Amino acid sequence: MERSTWFSRFTRSKMIVLLVLYVILAAIFTVVSKGQYLSWYNIRNIMNSMVVTAYLTCGAAFLMIAGNVDLSTAQVALLSGAMLGTFLQMHLPWPIAILGVFVIAAAVGTLNAVLINEIKFQPFVATMAVSYIVQGLMLVRLEGFSIDVDSPPIVWFGTYRIKGVLPVSIIFTFIIFAIYGVILVKSKFGKMLYLVGGNPTAAKLAGLNPKKISYILFINNAVLGSFAGMLQAARLKAATANGIANGMFAGMTGAILGGVSFGGGSGGMGGAFVGLVLLNGFNAGLSTVGLSPYWQTVASGALLLIALTFDYFNNKRLASAK
Amino acid sequence: MKKTLIKFSKGKGVTLVIVIAVVVIFFSILKKEYLSWDNIRGIMYAMSLTGTITCGMACLMMSGSIDLASGAEGMMGGLVCAMLIARGMAFPLAIVLCLLMGAVFGLINAFLSNVMNFMPFIATMAMSSVWQGVGAIISGNSTIMITDRAFWKIGATNLWIFPLPFIVMVVLLLVYGWLISNTKIGRQLLLCGGNRNAARLAGINFNKISTIFFVNNGVIACIGGIILASRMHNGTVGNVVGAEMDGMVAAIIGGVSFLGGGSSGMGVLFLGILMLTCFKSGLYIINLNAYWMVCANGVLLVIALIVDFLRERARLRSLKAAPHSQKS
Amino acid sequence: MAQYIEFSGIGKAYPGVQALKDISFRASEGRVVALLGENGAGKSTLLKILSGDTQPDEGKIIINGEENRIASPYDAITKGISVIYQERQLAPSMSVIENVFAGDLPTKRFGVLDKKKMLQTTQEIIDKFGLPIDPEDPVGRLSVAYQQMVEIMKAYRRDSKIIAFDEPTAPLTDTEIAILFRLINQLREEGKIIIYVSHRLAEIFQITDEIVVLKDGRMVKTMVTAESNESDLIRAMVGRDIGDTYSNLSRNENIGEVLLEVNNLNNDMVHDVSFKLHKGEIVGFAGLIGAGRSEVVRAIFGADPILSGEIKIDGEICKFSSEKDAIDRGIALCPEDRKDQGLVMWRDITDNISMPVLDKLMSGLFISRKKSEDLAERAVEKYSIKTPSLDKIVSELSGGNQQKVILGRWTSDLMDTRILILDEPTKGIDVGTKAEVYQMCCDFAKQGIGVIFISSELTEVINVADNIIVMHNGHITGEVRRAEATEENVLALAMLD
Repeated sequence: MERSTWFSRFTRSKMIVLLVLYVILAAIFTVVSKGQYLSWYNIRNIMNSMVVTAYLTCGAAFLMIAGNVDLSTAQVALLSGAMLGTFLQMHLPWPIAILGVFVIAAAVGTLNAVLINEIKFQPFVATMAVSYIVQGLMLVRLEGFSIDVDSPPIVWFGTYRIKGVLPVSIIFTFIIFAIYGVILVKSKFGKMLYLVGGNPTAAKLAGLNPKKISYILFINNAVLGSFAGMLQAARLKAATANGIANGMFAGMTGAILGGVSFGGGSGGMGGAFVGLVLLNGFNAGLSTVGLSPYWQTVASGALLLIALTFDYFNNKRLASAK
Repeated sequence: MKKTLIKFSKGKGVTLVIVIAVVVIFFSILKKEYLSWDNIRGIMYAMSLTGTITCGMACLMMSGSIDLASGAEGMMGGLVCAMLIARGMAFPLAIVLCLLMGAVFGLINAFLSNVMNFMPFIATMAMSSVWQGVGAIISGNSTIMITDRAFWKIGATNLWIFPLPFIVMVVLLLVYGWLISNTKIGRQLLLCGGNRNAARLAGINFNKISTIFFVNNGVIACIGGIILASRMHNGTVGNVVGAEMDGMVAAIIGGVSFLGGGSSGMGVLFLGILMLTCFKSGLYIINLNAYWMVCANGVLLVIALIVDFLRERARLRSLKAAPHSQKS
Repeated sequence: MAQYIEFSGIGKAYPGVQALKDISFRASEGRVVALLGENGAGKSTLLKILSGDTQPDEGKIIINGEENRIASPYDAITKGISVIYQERQLAPSMSVIENVFAGDLPTKRFGVLDKKKMLQTTQEIIDKFGLPIDPEDPVGRLSVAYQQMVEIMKAYRRDSKIIAFDEPTAPLTDTEIAILFRLINQLREEGKIIIYVSHRLAEIFQITDEIVVLKDGRMVKTMVTAESNESDLIRAMVGRDIGDTYSNLSRNENIGEVLLEVNNLNNDMVHDVSFKLHKGEIVGFAGLIGAGRSEVVRAIFGADPILSGEIKIDGEICKFSSEKDAIDRGIALCPEDRKDQGLVMWRDITDNISMPVLDKLMSGLFISRKKSEDLAERAVEKYSIKTPSLDKIVSELSGGNQQKVILGRWTSDLMDTRILILDEPTKGIDVGTKAEVYQMCCDFAKQGIGVIFISSELTEVINVADNIIVMHNGHITGEVRRAEATEENVLALAMLD
């Protein structure tokens, strides 16, 4: 009996296509920006911009593989930054402040899970509604200003560079991404995600608990989001009312680009990572070639559509293989 | 007539009237100004924008689609109209061009959701950022003032006590209400929303119907945007954006099922719009922090969904209790 | 001249499969022609060609001497062809009138609907067929059977000459089938050309005039119904005699003590159900569709709530709050609907088999790929599942092999299944594999597993099960031992009012 090999699994994923695509894009940007695109400064910029979205992508990819979706993560991130600032202003010690923020995020994640699992709302609409609620709370808290985040350990984490070159936060992000990748591929939990995403009814009848998994994932997603938000605040040394690119689809765009499908049950973290690189590499490319920042708004929508187009052709290929 | 009355008293109409009465009484107790003529006119103006957007949105939702770019499309309508007039174009021509542009917006949405098979929810949300970005680019992110006084009249004219934009909205609702219940295309729309596959096999061209109503929605959104531009005497990137949320919420409250195929008629839809606007206007008049209003949007959407959920459950119950289904 | 439709040399290939080859037959007005064949014989592909959903690679369709190309479902309708599928093509929230006129709404000027004409015509058709339907009722409120009648009314309203039915009786009760057959007879008398696709032999003899037997995409035989009998048909369908499938079963003779005892089980769909299952016994559940058989096992399995009553395993009262609890106590359920409830269609065989035993496949923190694949390989070998590799996606397997994957999941050596519930295990699989499934049931019994076998095919239940429990309307109406069971006495209990 033939078994799957590491190689057959790799060739079946679309990572190669995406990598090639990115190389082409990078080449174009490099030529247009007269080499600037490949400068260490720009590469570090790309990595820096990836740091915050990476957490959102992790959470979103996990959710989507299990057949769910959360549009509120970006707002949870911003609210988390604001709350971190608030707690620090109240002179709480920084570990307690961070813990408090995690609790708030977990509460929002639970709210999403309740709306979807108990009241059976469509995930898109439910989390969109929650997104507005969270955004409102965040705006009320900030009241149009920003809050300083100046606790030295937190700022250190956000800004310290090993030997003055390599930011700690980037290394940490890569580690987190790798851990999630291993969980997905190797662990029981990861396997359950694919099964639940592929067919929740069958999974339930086989003794898995889709509802529990959904709760875990929404909470995980919100907590990852809040981590992203706090990191963002730590790097800017302040919590602001915006600054997460791509809004409701912040984490998802990269994941979809990387082959995680809305239907659930397919995709992986490797693809999501390449998607993330592509996404941020593209955005950085736009600014190195000197386009107006408003183009970024256009690009955020356009990239999502491109991601969906990828998904579309992939599904078509799957269907024709049948 | 009697039949309509009975239908009305059985349906959501009565519930909504009661809810509206409660809302109105509640806010007028909190603030006397709520029932002032100024505020009532304010409500009518607010309704005109929400209602116009809702009109196109409700039709789309009945076909099982949605357009979350409606607000951004309306913004583009107002903005481009303002820019054209500012460059000296005669305003009727500018309006016609903007409506054509709205049709193109609709065509793009239709292409994405029907040809590329993207989920309308995501595709139109993506288009919303695209149009917002484009709007910022073409206007340099600044407000375009309109000095053509004739154009101002659109928003400022009154017919007896009713502002013209309000009349436009009511006329739109009446026309679409009639269209949906009395014409072929209206029925085809409902059939498409009720069972897409069945409609296709019965020879109804789903893509055609869906495209028509996407285009229709784009045009109506631009009408909303242009009227707003005329009232504000300017066009700017922030205008109208977000109105699609109100449109969606009002449509759901007004009896349009989120899952397509269902509608309780335009009378109930009107009440839905009225209810939403009365509520929001109440929040303004009690001086609720503008940031809380963002929250209120989310809460209202949740409430609307709960209403839809309960309605759907009631419908399922009535199915179980229906005479034929028990027979075997 | 009598009108007719003729298929001439129709062939259709999908990548890797020759779905149809050289199909030629003629159906004439006033005749009901049966299309008979096992699953995968090509019946549905032929219907798809007839309805314009897909185009044949070769051959011609001739309607009244004229060659026709049916380009789309709409084209089929305009050429007077209506296909009534198993899945209802109706908009549930809309009225009977609107559904009957879907796709062809009559208008006065400017696209304004002619509501009066719509109501009138619909009422006329309802009266003609003598159906108790209110034309203004939303279709979603009608029972499945009447929804089907609406489909027929739709075809009739279009004045379709050719009406094809795809397994129309599958969801119907016997009374409803009688009404359906009355309608079909009425249509036949009016000179319609009727094509009737079905699995059920009894019906074919009852309603059809001619029979076309398909096997593996080829036409094996055409015959006149009146001149054929059941064993001829089966031989034609299977290519061999399966008359003694049942007598060849090697059964378990050794039935042990009580394993499962259900006392006065009640919930919304199940009323006062009590029965016993012994070790090594096969208990069959017979009854019409909707009799509450699946609901009973779902309640036992913890998938549906229980209002009152008790479930005892080995004499010990068990309360399951979820499917997981039931599985832990050794109960396994192979659900009725493989695609929607049984399998994760886009995952491979290994994943589908290892689903309930992930805990036992761990090595350290992670799942061991080797252990999972070993497990799957053992199942593939044990049940001779036909697949080139273990990482084949299950949606690419045939129905029979999919069923074997589910059986493999529940009876792997890592599972400790003591009670195996099979809900319609032979639905949609070919006759050869069916026999394999029966033998598997007996083998499970020999291992001391208690098997609950639910099936709507009477012959199957009364020949495979040791003890047959008959249900009607959520109640148990009788219990019959195999030795005493005949189709007649079981059916009488199933239709008890």
